[in-house]
Formats: sequence, C-alpha cells, structure tokens
Amino acid sequence: MKVTQETQGTAAIFIVEGQVDLHTSPELRSQLRTALNSRSSPLVVDLNAVSFIDSSGLATLIEALKSVGSYGGKLRLCGLNPDVRKLFELARLNEVFDLRTSRAEACGP
Amino acid sequence: MNEVRCTVPSDTAYLPMVRAMVTEGARLAGFDPETTHGILLAVTEAVTNVIRHAYGGEPDQRIDLLLGTRPEHFRLDIVDYGHFVDPSKIASRPLDDLRPGGLGVHLMKSIMDRVEYRPNAHGGTTLTLEKHAPAAKGSS
Repeated sequence: MKVTQETQGTAAIFIVEGQVDLHTSPELRSQLRTALNSRSSPLVVDLNAVSFIDSSGLATLIEALKSVGSYGGKLRLCGLNPDVRKLFELARLNEVFDLRTSRAEACGP
Repeated sequence: MNEVRCTVPSDTAYLPMVRAMVTEGARLAGFDPETTHGILLAVTEAVTNVIRHAYGGEPDQRIDLLLGTRPEHFRLDIVDYGHFVDPSKIASRPLDDLRPGGLGVHLMKSIMDRVEYRPNAHGGTTLTLEKHAPAAKGSS
C-alpha cells in the first residue's frame, strides 16, 4: 500500500494505492491522524487505485469519520471500484460515508 | 488428491501471499473475478482473526492452510495451534452500531456458503470456509 498526500484549497487529499489490510492500515491511520490533528476539512480519501480493502481498512475510515465529525469537518471517499463498493454495501457503510464519484467532486464545497 | 497445503507465519505481512494462493485456487475451481474477490475478503478476515484472537498478535506462530480445488467448489481449512476461539466471542457487532471493528465474521458469513469453527487436535481452532460457484449451488 502507498499513500500520497496532496492539498487542494482546504481539502486534504489522501491517494491510496494497493492493498489495505491489517498489515497496512496502521500506516493509513497514521497519515489520516496528522490531518485530523490539524482539523483539516474536507478530508478526501481517493480509493481509485485500491485493489483490496478489508474490515481493518473500514475500521480506519470509521475512526476518521468519527474524528472529523468531532470538529464539524467532513470526510469524503471517492473512486471506489465495484469490488470495494460491494464491501461497503455488505457492511452497510455506503449509507454512512459520503461517497463521491470523482476526486474533483469530493474536493468541492 | 486435489488439495494444496501450506503453512504461513501468523504475521500480517503474509496476508498478500495467502490471497495470492487463494486467488489461484479460486481460478482453478472456475470462479469469476467478482466471486473470487469476495472469497479473498472472507479468507483475509479469517486469517486476521486467527492472528488477533488465537495468537494475540504474535507474528511467529503457525497457521496451516488446506485448500481444496475441485471444480466449482472452494474450500479452505484454516488450522491454528493457539486455543479454541469461541465463535460467540468474535461475533459481529450490529451493523447500525457504527464503530471500528466487529465486521469480520459478518463479512465471512455474508460471502461464504459455510463458515464452521471447531476445536482441533492441536488445541486450537480449525475454521472451514466453503463457497460453491453460482451454477453449482444446490447440486452438491
């Protein structure tokens, strides 16, 4: 897994690539934590290049969602491929997260 | 004999290797990529639970994987040498209780046709995961 950080306006963007599992999710959590500590909003997590994500990856995103909500910020996810979207649906998280189709849309107001 | 056996350490760094083996097993059994991805998720959740609950995160313990490869049928036995893990102790949280964790067993049961835990002769747990290809359901 590789995480690249960018900024666009006030948006803190995390571009995630590869496989997110119990081995790699701590690195994603650590990088998100930095933006959460500085109260960035919106936080945008681009999953377009994620080939696999498991429940530890979901747990990391749920933690971030709760943290961003604590200061009134927003977390948006974009670029979910059909396999990743299916996981969100199985866990009924597609109704909980703000899912956007593109990074540009996710970085908007 | 249509079975592949391998042993991996209880180290999360080996999860991609487990998925590589499972991908090839599902391909040999004739599963489509979408179903294979679901199986990969279920197996990852299962092995992750072994690492966390049977071995308490210790990375140098033994996990045996026995992969059956008959057509249109996926079967994987995951054998650990820890202690028997009561399935009720790792039961899933209610889905509307939004908190990190507690989804692994729900995902396994949603995806696989059979998820069975039983104590094994090594003092640990054997978890069997089975999935039938859609066309094979009800015919075996």
